[in-house]
Amino acid sequence: MSPTYDVLIIGSGASGGMAAYTLAQKGVNCLMLDAGPEVDFTRDRSLKRVYDLPYRGFGRPGQFPHVTQASEFTANVWADEKQNPYTYDPNDPYYWVRIRLVGGKSLFWGRASWRLSDYEFKCKDHDDFGDNWPIGYSDLAPYYDRVEPLFRVSGRKEGLPQLPDGVFIEDNSVDSESVKRFVKSCAAVGIPTTKGRRATGQFASSVNLLLPDALASGNLTLVSNAVVRNITVDRNTGLVNGANFVDRRSKREMHAKARVVMVGASCLESTRLLLNSGIANSSGVLGHYLFDEFYVKNIVQAIVPELRNGSGRHGVIRGGGYIPRFRNLKTREKNFIRGYAVDFGSGGTPDPTYFPLYGEALQKEVNACKEAGFEMTAMGEVLPRFENHVRIDPNVQDAFGIPALHIQARYSDNEHAMARDAMDTLDERCRAAGFEVLVKHSQMVPPGESIHELGTCRMGDDPKTSVLNKWNQSHDVKNLFVVDGSSFVSGGSQNPTLTILALSMRSSEYVAAQLRSGNL
Amino acid sequence: MSGAEQQPATPKAARAPIDETPTLQIATTDSAAETVEHYFSESQFQVLERLSDIIAPPISGVPGALAAGVPAFLDFLTSQSSAHIQNLYRDGLDALNHQAQSRFKTDFKGTTASQADEILAPLRKPWTYEAPAEPLQAFLVLAKGQILQGTVNSREWISVVSKRDRRASGLGTYWHTID
Repeated sequence: MSPTYDVLIIGSGASGGMAAYTLAQKGVNCLMLDAGPEVDFTRDRSLKRVYDLPYRGFGRPGQFPHVTQASEFTANVWADEKQNPYTYDPNDPYYWVRIRLVGGKSLFWGRASWRLSDYEFKCKDHDDFGDNWPIGYSDLAPYYDRVEPLFRVSGRKEGLPQLPDGVFIEDNSVDSESVKRFVKSCAAVGIPTTKGRRATGQFASSVNLLLPDALASGNLTLVSNAVVRNITVDRNTGLVNGANFVDRRSKREMHAKARVVMVGASCLESTRLLLNSGIANSSGVLGHYLFDEFYVKNIVQAIVPELRNGSGRHGVIRGGGYIPRFRNLKTREKNFIRGYAVDFGSGGTPDPTYFPLYGEALQKEVNACKEAGFEMTAMGEVLPRFENHVRIDPNVQDAFGIPALHIQARYSDNEHAMARDAMDTLDERCRAAGFEVLVKHSQMVPPGESIHELGTCRMGDDPKTSVLNKWNQSHDVKNLFVVDGSSFVSGGSQNPTLTILALSMRSSEYVAAQLRSGNL
Repeated sequence: MSGAEQQPATPKAARAPIDETPTLQIATTDSAAETVEHYFSESQFQVLERLSDIIAPPISGVPGALAAGVPAFLDFLTSQSSAHIQNLYRDGLDALNHQAQSRFKTDFKGTTASQADEILAPLRKPWTYEAPAEPLQAFLVLAKGQILQGTVNSREWISVVSKRDRRASGLGTYWHTID
């Protein structure tokens, strides 16, 4: 007879990994199920020349219509879209980017690590749109304080209320001259800048920072290739008691038992699982309030003119930085609410397709601009709106017979206005810094492409308008917790992983305490 | 046999004992054979060759698109692409021939450099994020990007340029099937 675990954790990425890390070290006996196989970093990757790949680096046409991040080098790490289908209205494409491996997306994330502030947690108080979170910054700050050293986050303290400082490996590196000029250009109009804040180290993933300690405690059993079909419910108590899953390789149907279930399968997979289980939705909002962060990639591509023709002096290029949100902090300044952030970088050669040239003239211009580029990407807040949602598509199932998601998401006028403002503002700042603007645009990537999907299982104090309470605990089923980005009420313009990690740690400590006191 | 055993004149690579699992040295297809073009018609392929040479000519000893085998590669790639891309290519290549005939009474392959420049005027319009609405311009923008990428990703281009620039090695971390 199989054991009954204290906690079943579904998913092994940032949120599931942090749950296992926290619970197992507190003596809680955990079972973790992940839908994918484990990665063997020695066996599963090797160096290859691009011309030795079957498609010369282009990739097999049509293999990943929604994963612009995929290359022929990385094609085997992304979830197969045919095995794992989803649907959307053709007029509203959604790019759902997934990885099904032990460690999840934490294996390949960009590592940007920003705290949210009360401009996000208490957003409704600032502009009367949407809803506040059931927690404030002060509730999460102690957990941010512990996650940052664990992930070895580097950064520079600035004292900005919209971007709280953290426990950083101090980044006191000297900016290159081109970065200094851009920073000065921004400061002249009151736009703040800072260094990037990133998890450092050779590798910064659940599989090297979280799961090893959990396993070493002896309190974690990790099972890979376990595709969870649904969470099971004890009909007598109404409490969840485990999950049905299918072994990915053999298709064998299995059931695992636990006293508590914590779901961290990634934002939309977690909500899909709850919808397919028919639980935690007395409010009717499960699946609703889907949002992410929009990206305008290479919103401005500029040239540092003194670097043309390789004439730049040492120290003029390299490095970069970050513009935190600066719009609508104290007053309503523009024709949109909320704000956007910007990543900027110095160096690199502009893409040849930007130049309206070909042949020798093109090559001459590309050579002239070699390593003279200055580029930036804007990342803006997408408003959480009820009508952007996911639901089960009754006509489509995945390779395991599990009903697939239909995703309905569309940007509003607010996001479009924000993107245009970002383009105009950054164009102006580049010119003020003395750069040549090569191209600019305000075209947002399709919803989902930023891989920052959030919401659909949101927290709140009111069980009628939210799915989870302030501990990421289901209002309806007290031994069910959802600890990933689906729990977000709003997201700001900051990358969400650091907040997901902090929320999961906080919720997991609550679960451990409740188990100890016999409340779960 | 009398006397000492005869040894081979040139020692071969050490052979693994027959009871070990061998790792055989396998050549890539491109290094041993040529693509058999089959997708584009002969006239379309000739236009693609001329266009490739115009967009990415050999410069200062660096191989261009023709030496990199780009037309044959794009014939293969397009054959596996979506109907939208296939139509864009076929119609675009036909359009270049049509324009050459109507303007200069020759096919695109036979145009002079200045005549080809006139026909390729859409390529000198400013870059836009969205693909251009006009089909010929959309084709030319797509083809330009693919011809350039096909060239710089080729063995021929990399083997020359990597000797001058270590960043042009074409090396990347390849992920095998994980199971």
